[in-house]
Amino acid sequence: MQHTVSFTHEEKQSSVSVPTGTMLSDAAHLAGVEIGQPCGGQGRCGRCAVLVTDGNVRRRSTLRLSPADVEQGYALACQTVVEGDVLINVPPQEKIERRLTTDRVVAEVTIPADYDFDQHQSIHRVYLELTPPTMEDQTDDWARLQTALRTQANIPEVTCSLHFLQTLGKTLRDGEWQVTLVVDRDMEFPEKPVRLIEVFPGRVDDYSPLWGCAIDIGTTTVSLWLVDLVSGHVRAQVAEYNGQIARGEDVISRIIYSGKAGGEQEMRQLVLDTINELVETACKRVNAKPEDVMKATISGNSTMMHLLLGIPAGSIRLSPFITAVNHPPVMLAKEVGINIHHGGAVDCLPGVASYVGADITAGVLSSGLEHAEHVSLFIDVGTNGEMVLGNRDWLVTCACSAGPAFEGAGVVNGMRATQGAIEEVWINGETFEPTYRVIGGGKPKGICGSGLISLLAEAFLTGVIDKAGNVNLMAGNSRVREGAHGGEYVLAWGAESESGEDIVLTRVDIDNLLRAKAAIYAGFSILADTVGVPLEMADRVLVGGSFGKYINVEKAVQIGLLPDMEWSRFEFLGNTSVKGAYAALLDWRMRDRITEIAKRMTYIELSADNSFYDAFTSALFLPHTDMNKFPSVAAALER
Amino acid sequence: MPIEIPKDKWPGSIKKVTLGATSAEGGTRAKSVTVGGETTLPYLHFEAPTPNKPVIAIEIKSHRPDDWSPLLGEVWGDAMNDPAQWAKKAEEAGADIIVLALTLADSPEDAVRIVKSVLAATGLPLIVWGPGQAEKDNDLLVPIAEATKGEKLMLGICEDKNYRTIVATAMANGHVIQARTPMDVNLAKQLNILITDMGLPADRIMMDPTTGALGYGIEYGYSVMERLRLAALQGDSMTQLPMIVTPGFEAWKAKESKVGDGVPEAWGDWKFRAIHWETLTAVALVESGADIIVLRHPESVKRVKETIEELIAV
Amino acid sequence: MALSGIQIYKLLPQTNCKECGFPTCLAFAMKLAAKQVELGSCPYVSDASKKQLAESAAPPIRLITLKAGSEVKAGNEVVMFRHEKTFYNKPGLFVRVKASDPELAAKVAKADAYKVNYVGMDFTIDGFAVEADGGDFVRAVKAVRDTTKRPLILIADDAPLLDSALSLLAGESALIYAAESSSYEPLADLAKKHKSALVLKADSFDAFADLTQKVQAKGVEDMVLDLGGKNLGEWLTRSTQARRLAIKANQRAVGYPTIFFAGQNGPEKEAVYAAQAIAKYAGFVVLDTFTPELAYALLVLRENIYTDPQKPIQVQPGIYEINSPNADSPVLVTTNFSITYFSVANEVEGSGLPAWLVVTDAEGMSVLTAWAAGKFDAERIAKAIKGFDVASKVNKKRIVLPGHVAVLSGELEEELAGWEIRVGPREAVDIPAFMKQALN
Repeated sequence: MQHTVSFTHEEKQSSVSVPTGTMLSDAAHLAGVEIGQPCGGQGRCGRCAVLVTDGNVRRRSTLRLSPADVEQGYALACQTVVEGDVLINVPPQEKIERRLTTDRVVAEVTIPADYDFDQHQSIHRVYLELTPPTMEDQTDDWARLQTALRTQANIPEVTCSLHFLQTLGKTLRDGEWQVTLVVDRDMEFPEKPVRLIEVFPGRVDDYSPLWGCAIDIGTTTVSLWLVDLVSGHVRAQVAEYNGQIARGEDVISRIIYSGKAGGEQEMRQLVLDTINELVETACKRVNAKPEDVMKATISGNSTMMHLLLGIPAGSIRLSPFITAVNHPPVMLAKEVGINIHHGGAVDCLPGVASYVGADITAGVLSSGLEHAEHVSLFIDVGTNGEMVLGNRDWLVTCACSAGPAFEGAGVVNGMRATQGAIEEVWINGETFEPTYRVIGGGKPKGICGSGLISLLAEAFLTGVIDKAGNVNLMAGNSRVREGAHGGEYVLAWGAESESGEDIVLTRVDIDNLLRAKAAIYAGFSILADTVGVPLEMADRVLVGGSFGKYINVEKAVQIGLLPDMEWSRFEFLGNTSVKGAYAALLDWRMRDRITEIAKRMTYIELSADNSFYDAFTSALFLPHTDMNKFPSVAAALER
Repeated sequence: MPIEIPKDKWPGSIKKVTLGATSAEGGTRAKSVTVGGETTLPYLHFEAPTPNKPVIAIEIKSHRPDDWSPLLGEVWGDAMNDPAQWAKKAEEAGADIIVLALTLADSPEDAVRIVKSVLAATGLPLIVWGPGQAEKDNDLLVPIAEATKGEKLMLGICEDKNYRTIVATAMANGHVIQARTPMDVNLAKQLNILITDMGLPADRIMMDPTTGALGYGIEYGYSVMERLRLAALQGDSMTQLPMIVTPGFEAWKAKESKVGDGVPEAWGDWKFRAIHWETLTAVALVESGADIIVLRHPESVKRVKETIEELIAV
Repeated sequence: MALSGIQIYKLLPQTNCKECGFPTCLAFAMKLAAKQVELGSCPYVSDASKKQLAESAAPPIRLITLKAGSEVKAGNEVVMFRHEKTFYNKPGLFVRVKASDPELAAKVAKADAYKVNYVGMDFTIDGFAVEADGGDFVRAVKAVRDTTKRPLILIADDAPLLDSALSLLAGESALIYAAESSSYEPLADLAKKHKSALVLKADSFDAFADLTQKVQAKGVEDMVLDLGGKNLGEWLTRSTQARRLAIKANQRAVGYPTIFFAGQNGPEKEAVYAAQAIAKYAGFVVLDTFTPELAYALLVLRENIYTDPQKPIQVQPGIYEINSPNADSPVLVTTNFSITYFSVANEVEGSGLPAWLVVTDAEGMSVLTAWAAGKFDAERIAKAIKGFDVASKVNKKRIVLPGHVAVLSGELEEELAGWEIRVGPREAVDIPAFMKQALN
């Protein structure tokens, strides 16, 4: 039986008569309408979605379409057959891409709903009206201030710095005996003496900002959020590469460097320079001065914390892997060397072990995992992969070295996720011809982490590489060839690329990516094994780290980086370390909870036995040696 | 007090693999040899019989090896100069299968000629190993596979970095594949997946898990084999292949077997020690599930065969 | 049924007090689950929890210790297969001598003095079995005891004779062979009197279970089973069944170590018989023949089978020859993690080019891990180069470092004066190309 299929595409109409059962994509081709099929018509990429506005079709597969899409009438042209006269609307490609990329969910910054400056913040303003001195009342300035504090603010005991005393007299007189103090007090133990940080003449508006900052010292990037402690708002977010990179890309190199003569001091200064520059930049944005910042809450891995504080870090890397300090006490900014108010408090968050630091305890807090009833898995992917499994009853954690492959490093054509990076790839299974998307839309310069994950998944599903990552040189296709490092796949010919050189994925790149993903998968499978909880029992998989922002779940599952679960169980949280620091900066209860988390977490040392190695080799395959663990990928391979 | 003996009933079983084809089956072998088919752990007859007893292969080389122990030179003598003669003597020594190892010096034409001469000299099934370098292996094994189409040889050695060519030629010419991986359960399974992904049926693959010798890592090989067998019985289809092991090669590499001079007195008599080394290496592997055992010394062949007979005698 | 870490954790106080020596209660619970600590380390565990935990912790196979000047242990095993955890107590190797043998003392002296070194460890025979065969048994036992300080097994069925012999062994724990159901009482009494362990013989597990209970009723706890069996196949079956009954069925009535006589079917078969017994669960193995070459092979096999499989897989540090290198061949350096070694060795082997491969002792870690942990640094590499006397093997003093540790080349030049340090590729697959291009 013949049917008429009518297409509307870029405001042009065309139609064609075809028999029952004709694929929509074939009908479109006959009608002269070109629908892109990057995956070669295998229903994998979703790029050929069209809108069926009228008539009967049968959808063989709706992978990549949500139920809502189908409800609206969307269908994949390569997976849908004609069963009557139909009207088809072919949407512009960009519109489709926008639909498809919504599976990446990044949590936004929200101020904790119940934040109450008076109740939860340790930094406060205290306005005092002092009785001016007279010949009868020759009480000294300091005692006079203490009396006022006792009688007007109910603060019986205080401490202060010499600097405070040096400026007190002038400020009292400038303000005509009316002053506003900035104080730091222990909210949990209010009977402890209150520390006076600064004194301002006159009355400072209660609602004017009082600044604090949350800092995450990453091995690669330092992030800083400038926060108005009164309202709780983040007023500026800035980030910069950690100045220590010049002395080594990974923590081990930096520990080794810091152990050389003068190395400790140099490393400390490098990161301080980075932080101080960030403080300045952030303050400029809000018209504030660094000395207006009264508190800094710092998160970061254990090595970064040691190097910031100039504490010898050598024992971190040597068996039995001991830190000098997991939980430093609160210190003064002047002492630490951070250019905020010199009397400002520097609060370094607590870590658990050499390779599970404050970035993870803070991350756990912001992920909410530690008070969930059900088991969740938290993964922070960076150069090191750290994971935490648990619920409100127990928490276990481990760390493994994944290497920088997913950050685009150590891969021939790898690069950071910036302008010119290929961020997503599809490969036609018949022709091996790729289609890719470039950040910024220009000529490609290289491939970023998400592009590499995407490329690896496509290469594997289409048979460009086998499950072990060997490039299929017997395919007799010009895209696969023998290169300097064994087989390689040409993603972009020199003519298409920015540099004029071919952009390739080599055997060595593939090995690096496989090792990185295998280390991460092995890490959390061992965690699960150790406590005897099957991975599938994890209700949610919370992915932190800036890497987690751009990752495509489907592809990450296809290469076996993430466990095979419904996509709805994954949540992408972005930089959980700085978020945790932010929460702790605002609210002393959150700060306490991080301490509790650090105490409760049980660290599993992966190098202690062979089970990690076994899990690692098992994961060193696409997607995994045990295909039963990846049913959705098995199904994708069947198609 | 009545005691009930726990018996394991496994969902999985080992596939059967047949080497060699008789004239009725399209080859020229006097008989074929089938291994595998186990449905429980090795020799636990109270659970299930051993359907095919493990067999012994003797390793010979295409050219007289200059790095073999003098003890082996003594027993094989001049036969080592002629692979056909050597194969005949190996059959007399009790081999069920001949393993012919080629060398780097062989040209493809020589290799085909030598293989044919061995096939002519004995009616036993034949396993042919390339010299162990990817390119050279492919150069030699492809013409051999073609020239012996239908003989159901076993071709070795496939490894994860070099399997496509050999598998393709085995598929085209009706041969069997020896898949070698370095002492690791996962790697063994992965190579089986890669090979079957190409379309070769699993009953034409044998696993060679690499075992090490007594004193030289045999514990790893031993446990890898136990784990592979357990996984197979538990139903993991990609481990349900019979296993070929090479204790002759492994043990005669060891100083304990290879040399008689300059070793500690506590090592005892050289010849007896060498035989113990090869035999005990082999027996440990037999206990952990080996189906084809490749040996070098006739005395070890005799002892290992007796061991197998005793193990399968009910 | 063994409890998991989480299950044990729920029975602990969950206060994370750290007094047990672990940072959290869960960490302690996981150590308990792995049987690596005693519950007693927790000062606050409740009595109810203690009771529950004790039940799951009792060993399924009784630990038997034979003691004289040295000790031999058997039992306490928890798994069927070594990879599941490990095999703990190596089966004791005993040499049997006959009381009537005029050469008895000389034979014992020879076996007793035997010592062989295997990768840095010294191995010896564990003890002797003296059999009453018509000669003067008591005198023979005395002669043996005067020659060796090792534990003894006494083989006899005459209780008074055994009593006299055992009286010579005051303060020791010997093993008496063997009681059967028809005649167990006098031997059980002797075992009790002399604090000895007693071997039991029976032809079925039903009979063993009856017998162990009867012997236990006589006040003897330390028993060893002789499972019999006329050949390898039968013994394998019985030994497997005994182990399963103990471990999988938790059948305490047969949860005892076993003894096996390797020489029962002649000296030709002795090596193989003993090898199977070592691999398949024997607690004590008795040899009729002692020769150094047999003892060495069996001691090595026993060491291999009883190595803890949870330790990283390592290769022996040393200098390895690949493709018959000569004095002009290059020297490559890597670590002793087996997979690292295999991938490097395979690539070099596959290249067809000869090379010396120096494998350093990096405690079984891969190149990067070892470097990170300080186990693969300039000092250790230099030590290996000097220790293995690499200089004597090559004309050109040049070594190739893995590319991942390029950073070590400066320090290494200082440590190894006169050597040229070259940085090789980061990945093993690039080694053949590197050897062809850069090293010629």
